[in-house]
Amino acid sequence: MIPEYLLRALLAGIMVSVLLGMLSPLINMKGLAFLTHATFHTLLFGAVLGMILGLIFSNFSLVLWVALIITIFVVILIALLENRGFSSDTAIGVIASFIAGSTVLAFGVLYKVMASRPYFALSQSVVSYLTGELFLITLNDLMFLVLGGAVIFFVMLAFYRDFLYVSFDAEGVEAYSGNARFYLTLLYVLVGATGALIVRTVGLITLQVVAVLPGTIAVMLSNDLRKILGISLGLTLSVQVLSIVLAYLTDIPPSGIATIMLGLVYGFLVLRR
Amino acid sequence: MGEILIIAENLTIYYDGYRAVEDITFRLSSGETLLLLGPNGAGKTSLLRTIAGLHKSYTGKLLVFGKPPAEVKDLISYVPQSHSLNERVPLKAIEVVAMGALYKRGFIHFNIPKSVLKEAEEALEFVGLGDIKNKRFAELSGGQKQRVLLARALVSKPKLLLLDEPLSALDPSARVEVVSVLAKIKREMRITMIITTHDPNPLTEIGDKVMLVNKRLVAFGTPEEVLRDEIITKVYGSLAKAVKVGERMYCFIGDVHIHGRERR
Ligand SMILES: Nc1ncnc2c1ncn2[C@@H]1O[C@H](COP(=O)(O)OP(=O)(O)OP(=O)(O)O)[C@@H](O)[C@H]1O
Ligand SMILES: [Mg+2]
Repeated sequence: MIPEYLLRALLAGIMVSVLLGMLSPLINMKGLAFLTHATFHTLLFGAVLGMILGLIFSNFSLVLWVALIITIFVVILIALLENRGFSSDTAIGVIASFIAGSTVLAFGVLYKVMASRPYFALSQSVVSYLTGELFLITLNDLMFLVLGGAVIFFVMLAFYRDFLYVSFDAEGVEAYSGNARFYLTLLYVLVGATGALIVRTVGLITLQVVAVLPGTIAVMLSNDLRKILGISLGLTLSVQVLSIVLAYLTDIPPSGIATIMLGLVYGFLVLRR
Repeated sequence: MGEILIIAENLTIYYDGYRAVEDITFRLSSGETLLLLGPNGAGKTSLLRTIAGLHKSYTGKLLVFGKPPAEVKDLISYVPQSHSLNERVPLKAIEVVAMGALYKRGFIHFNIPKSVLKEAEEALEFVGLGDIKNKRFAELSGGQKQRVLLARALVSKPKLLLLDEPLSALDPSARVEVVSVLAKIKREMRITMIITTHDPNPLTEIGDKVMLVNKRLVAFGTPEEVLRDEIITKVYGSLAKAVKVGERMYCFIGDVHIHGRERR
């Protein structure tokens, strides 16, 4: 019999794979690696803020919501700056450094609040946020992941071609009566929302690698869109499932195994060239 | 030629208070082709994007089809310089062309409608690329890419076509390839065109008017009126030279030293 927590982990892993498998090629083609990096900072900031509020109001589901809302707010802010004519790197750089600084301050507050409420084993929760807690996922978490993931998946699917077009030639979309700014902002929101949704399963530390590498690898291997998507999806799926099984057998956190596996595949391909 | 299509009077274009080009005054009639000539940084792209309704900070009068450009964007096709495209995105030629017609029909484009695909195919046929519709854009030659972009512009059924340096970065035979498509557009569709270029020579065959800019309007008129030594030397230095061969004007600018004055 497969234990239930393993089943939950597998289902979560599959959902995560589908989202990242679809998103990763776009991240690569549009050159959004820096944005995912900023998302990482923002998620950490949101999580710390969420934990402070969670402690104060004794409600830890706040962590996810606060992280989600802050991340979406921040990616929209970045998109707005870009739409006002700032280069992508400038917009992200300014916002990300501000967020990173605030995170340090927020940690200070968090420690103070934690010290005043000694009965919460929250330090563990901070760590598990960083490394992912795939095996601790509750049925509620899973439901949320699947429902939220389904929404993101269908929005992404519906607008996938538009995302390709704005990546190819945003000014062209604009010139032919399309709303390039809307598509760009929506893409950023999807990146942020996906990050917020999966961070507890994937873990903050490895989030960027698992978001960026599958697309990079797929684009290296093919220049056919269907194949790129196929490779990216297949890769994230097999890496997630394999890492969960290995983690179950070895007790090493699955996020670490998944990241190392991706790194090995990438390294192998780069060397073989 | 038909009615006046573009009216610009004392048009000055800004980027955050910086004047990119100033004091541009000209009129262009429907069906005419204008060659927009000027050195790097002269303001050609800025002028083109402003006429396209893509850049909105300007002063002075600018009417296209009797209206501010942003209100008539549907009638205008703007073809950017091809190096501004992100070729990592593996789009096929036909998908690139379809872009020109998709956004006027709805908001979500999971699938390209059959009618749009058909129009895109016809446009590709028109530019002589019917047989490469499923090739990836990134894998095409420079001349083919430019023709695909022309097809994308045509599929949106424009009345005014704005082309930013369609010939730069092309070798001579690819230039001929693209110019012959431009001539065909002019001949068969009678679309009004503005074409920016560093080198007017391949285009004088189709240019009815020439405008020379260098941060401001230097000259505007027919090729005979503008491509004259006393005018082009103002912008390109004393070595610039215009010559008439048969009915066509040619212009030697830049590094071409036809007098050999600098040779030892
Ligand atoms: N987005 C921008 N922001 C600020 N200044 C700009 C911008 N685009 C152009 N400029 C400036 O406006 C002036 C005109 O530039 P523009 O690109 O229109 O010239 P161009 O004639 O097209 O040059 P090229 O032949 O190099 O394409 C230049 O001084 C340029 O630096
Ligand atoms: Mg230019």
